[in-house]
Amino acid sequence: MSAQNGFNSDMFEALAPELTLFVGLLLIMIVPNLGNGTFRIPGTSIRLPWFFGGTRYKAVASPRLPGLLAVLTMAVALFQVICYLLDASAADGKVISSENGIEIFKVNMFSRIFEAIFFAALLLAAIASLDRLPTGSQKSDDIDVLFNNRRQADFYILMLTSALGMSVVALAQDMFVLFVGLELASFSTYVLVAFHKETRAGSEGGAKYFIVGSVASAVGLYGLSMLYLWAGSLQFDVLAAKWAADGATSLSMMALGFVLVGFAFKISAAPFHFAAPDAYSGANSPVAGVLATASKAMGMLGLMRVLLLITIPEMDAEGSAIWIGLLGVLAAVTMTWGNIAALGSDNPKRMLAYSSVAHAGYMLAALTAIGAWNWGLVDNAGDAMDVVVAALIFHMFVLVFFKLGAFLILGVLEMEGGASRLSSLAGLGKREPLLAIAMFLFMISLAGVPPMAGFLSKLLVIMGIVEVATGTGSLSSIGDAHWVWWLALLMVINSAISMFYYLRVGVVMYFHEPEEGRKGPLASGASIRIAIALCAIGTVAFGLVGGELIELCRDAAESLR
Amino acid sequence: MAGTETISSTFIEYAIFIVLLPMLAFPIILFLGHIFNGNQKWVKSAKEGGLIALPIMVASFVLSMLLIAEFIGTGTGSHHIGDWLSFGWMSADGMTINEKVFGVGIYIDHVTVMLLFVASFLCMLINIFSIGYMNTDPINDNRNHRFYAEFVLFCSGMLGMVLADSFLWLFIFWELMGLCSYLLIGFYYEKPSAAYAAKKAFLTTRVGDVFLVIGLVMLWNLFDSLDYAVVFNEDLIAQVDPGQLQLALGMMFIGAVGKSAQFPLHVWLPDAMEGPTPVSALIHAATMVNAGLYLVARMFPFFGAPGMHGELVDLAFIIAAIGGITAVMAAAIAFVQDDLKKVLAYSTMSQLAYIFTGLGAALWLANSLDWHTDDKAHAIVVVAFGAALFHLFNHAMAKGMLFMASGSVIHEMHHAHHDMHHHDDHGDDHHDDHDDDHFDAQSMENMGGLASKMPITATAMLVGSASIMGLPLIGGFWSKEGIIANAWRVALEDPRFFLPAACVLIGAAMTGFYMSRMWLKTFAGKPKTEVAANVHENTPWIPIPLVTLTFVSLSSVILAGMMFTHWAGEPNGGYAFFGEKGLLKGLIYEFEHVFANSDAFFFVLTYVAIFIGAIVGPGLAMALYGGSLKDGEKAKPWMQPIINLSSRVNAKRGFDNSAWANSGLSNALKERLYFDKWYDAAMLKLVAGFANVSAAFDRKVVDGTIKTIESTSQKLSTQVRRLTTGSARDYIMMAALGVLVIYLLLGVMV
Repeated sequence: MSAQNGFNSDMFEALAPELTLFVGLLLIMIVPNLGNGTFRIPGTSIRLPWFFGGTRYKAVASPRLPGLLAVLTMAVALFQVICYLLDASAADGKVISSENGIEIFKVNMFSRIFEAIFFAALLLAAIASLDRLPTGSQKSDDIDVLFNNRRQADFYILMLTSALGMSVVALAQDMFVLFVGLELASFSTYVLVAFHKETRAGSEGGAKYFIVGSVASAVGLYGLSMLYLWAGSLQFDVLAAKWAADGATSLSMMALGFVLVGFAFKISAAPFHFAAPDAYSGANSPVAGVLATASKAMGMLGLMRVLLLITIPEMDAEGSAIWIGLLGVLAAVTMTWGNIAALGSDNPKRMLAYSSVAHAGYMLAALTAIGAWNWGLVDNAGDAMDVVVAALIFHMFVLVFFKLGAFLILGVLEMEGGASRLSSLAGLGKREPLLAIAMFLFMISLAGVPPMAGFLSKLLVIMGIVEVATGTGSLSSIGDAHWVWWLALLMVINSAISMFYYLRVGVVMYFHEPEEGRKGPLASGASIRIAIALCAIGTVAFGLVGGELIELCRDAAESLR
Repeated sequence: MAGTETISSTFIEYAIFIVLLPMLAFPIILFLGHIFNGNQKWVKSAKEGGLIALPIMVASFVLSMLLIAEFIGTGTGSHHIGDWLSFGWMSADGMTINEKVFGVGIYIDHVTVMLLFVASFLCMLINIFSIGYMNTDPINDNRNHRFYAEFVLFCSGMLGMVLADSFLWLFIFWELMGLCSYLLIGFYYEKPSAAYAAKKAFLTTRVGDVFLVIGLVMLWNLFDSLDYAVVFNEDLIAQVDPGQLQLALGMMFIGAVGKSAQFPLHVWLPDAMEGPTPVSALIHAATMVNAGLYLVARMFPFFGAPGMHGELVDLAFIIAAIGGITAVMAAAIAFVQDDLKKVLAYSTMSQLAYIFTGLGAALWLANSLDWHTDDKAHAIVVVAFGAALFHLFNHAMAKGMLFMASGSVIHEMHHAHHDMHHHDDHGDDHHDDHDDDHFDAQSMENMGGLASKMPITATAMLVGSASIMGLPLIGGFWSKEGIIANAWRVALEDPRFFLPAACVLIGAAMTGFYMSRMWLKTFAGKPKTEVAANVHENTPWIPIPLVTLTFVSLSSVILAGMMFTHWAGEPNGGYAFFGEKGLLKGLIYEFEHVFANSDAFFFVLTYVAIFIGAIVGPGLAMALYGGSLKDGEKAKPWMQPIINLSSRVNAKRGFDNSAWANSGLSNALKERLYFDKWYDAAMLKLVAGFANVSAAFDRKVVDGTIKTIESTSQKLSTQVRRLTTGSARDYIMMAALGVLVIYLLLGVMV
């Protein structure tokens, strides 16, 4: 591990994906505005061309340009991240510090794999959005084009800024830096949710999401300030050392509670999830998909940093983390609440929102299990922790494919005129057999049916929890296991409940007649279909041959410690 | 098994392509057929896929022959080439695969090789035949490509079953064949009778298959493996509980009973003649029905193992008894059938039953004789097993030919009928079995006197019938008498065997009768209809397989001289073709040894069997159905004397059998001994009754419970969702509550 002070070429190399995003961001701002604009030297009538403004050049006037640029940027960044992941090993890591030695970023497999999750989700969403936003006519001198072009540019700029914010969260080694990244990403998503300002649902959902999110952020920030008061620094390693030395004091516990609230909103854990269904149903489907995958992974990442780096007991200490009771309750309530609420939802987007609440519960259950990693029965505590963390990362990774994919299918339906009722999906099996198959794959993957990726991830999470709970396996009865075992059982029961609403989508698609006036194949949209196909391939492929990815997640999990 | 070794040599290494080629051809033909459907070029130049399938089947056959040649060259034992892939369970930690459960491999020994030849050779010939037989028919939306696609898939199933290296793969390919036979029998699915027949065949064999699965599971329990290389290990067999092994093998035998259409699961075979004739030849004569026999033959190492000495004789008896009963029953039903293909169907059942009896006897001998040390006992076991396998070979060749010949007759009858009645309206278009104006081209009542008009077909039929009857020196003669003699040999030791032994002896006469009846009714006498008078052979594709198979059937004598029986029956290999003797000496040896075994009793018995098979049966048939051809027409010189003889016997000894023909027994036989009726009734009462009860249980208890859970959860859901009021203020309030709860919980911790 090498430390790095100040700017130099090494740092550029280490932060290449982020720089790519930054360059892409600049390009989207500049390129669509290139034109024959001139600049008059003051006081004279000499006009110098400066290629900005005026009548746009034909080559850059296409309203599709910002989208393509964003897709390209995201693809390059994702490629760079993947290259890093394939090259690196768990021990690698590069710390980037400020001049006075404060660690700011750390580039290692753990942060990079989260970036891969973020970029993959945003890339798929960006590809899908190429068709989703109205692009108007193609005539270059049309005022609509300019308008649409600007709107297009806005949309993709926000996508890229949220990607940038998320990657800052992934890399951050300081709570404050993390908070800044979190806010950058959050503000971008607030606007993205409300992007369809013409519709009531869009602006209303965006506003609520913003209000509740701001409150949560404020609470989280309040917690951070308390942490600072307690430790005198927001550096992770300083905080961790302080926690190990002082343990839980009333101040640090209070701070921890507030910080948890901030992240719990991001992952939409109950009871902080209320704005999520409104936001998801109001937002453009690809954006909702990003909220349910990348944004949630970002929240989970923050939680993992706080809970697993700072407040986890030392490896040689006996006992469980201080927060596991709290987190266990939160996990149980969240997964049950999400599933119960999803059962009755007629709006497929709200249903998916509640389902993502339930998934948040599953992830919290895994985190709870990690909190118990040090208790007496576990043989090799470090390994047990790695198994669960790897399962968690794998779960978030594959979730991108089937959760986002499901939203994208709804996106195709929205192009036709709305997907706000379950009956909008009716007859899809006949109208669009391929889309229906893809949707069905996503649903059974969400429900956790083999051989889909969702099955494998859920299995790994449950097995990880059980492994932690039963330790070496030398139990005489299940009563001797750690109580987190019950969370695994609750997960299984919840999965059974969730079957109802996931499979109902299949019933509606294949056995119900289409709604009045919705007949035949849907409007074509090549790029969104490509994105859906990628999602479907990922869903199936990682279920069948997830081994490589699991290994990667395992390495990433090791590099966290 | 002693000789098992893993070798790597040229052609045996490529054995998997024998299976893979046809399997890969399946999607290709289907796809191309889908694209070019109805296109004239496609019909003319590719024969709707037939000419694509042909090179594949030829390649499969050539590969098989190379493999066989190489195997015979190496001469000994069995080869096991396996583990191209192996699969296992996930181990407990969920990340690795550590225990091999099954792999893909090839297992080659003498039984494999024999059946491989039969299957690949006949598949190829039937492919040639189909090209002549299957005519394009726009009425069926030109779907002959489907026929060829299903055909190649079926062939890959059969070849795969033969080459499989474990009972598991055997079962997988077994089921693949089951599926293809369902599709092929129901090829003319618009005909309700064809759809019904396909369903019936599928369901009836399924009954057997369930037992086969049970048997395989039991076998797995005993050995922890289904690989031949493991389960045939004599040391492992010696450790197994004989009672359980017998039960497991018995269960597997029920599967064989279903597949090979033996009593009491025989009802599907006659109905399955609804499929196109090449399918009948393929499935019901040459290949699929042999699967059951192959399965039983595969059990030989269990019976032959020293550790099981004398423990499995009951199962051997059951196998032989089922065979004996079916042999007589099917032959009796064949007496009264007028449909050409149905006669052959019952004949198939009857002949397969012979082979089962032969296998039962061989297994009995292997199980109770001390053949590992005693040379004489060894020879007896080898010859008994070899006779059964040789009969399988002879029967497959002859019956394949007979079916194709019957197809030729039916095809030409159709043609003639069309030419006479519809010459002007739709030209050459017609399809098998679609009987406009109710002309039945399959009924022998409409035929007669075809010997002069279809010389190739008539000759093929004659040779095939002679082979099935076991006329001296032709085909089945060499094997059938061996089966009868061995059944009696066992009967002398174990009195229970008198039942199958008597059955096969009586059956020989019955075979002679119904086969002669079929030939005479079709080819001798005067044409019974105008159509039959105008028939002639006119496709070039059909005669090729007929002529080929005629020679194969006739050349059985050479195989016998090469001591095929010994070679096929010797479980440890080491018996080279020709043995130590030349052809002629081999033949003489065969005469002496196979049938007589230097024992006067068997010598006499064999010749009694030959006599009743060759004289009594045909004589009776000639008396009833003989007759000369129409004036001025002459059959080929080798058939004319038979026709003349039949007309003379008919004139002298002819009698009126109408009293018998109207008797209750005859009617019962025409109704197939009411098996179908009883089964239907049983199904309606038992199965349908049980189904109703379980449906009610499902509706009320299972669905009821789930619906209660569901409706409760829905109510709960409504309550929960009511908390999502839509007002951001409320959301923040809930979040604040959440913060409170968090502090309560954290407070508990501290």
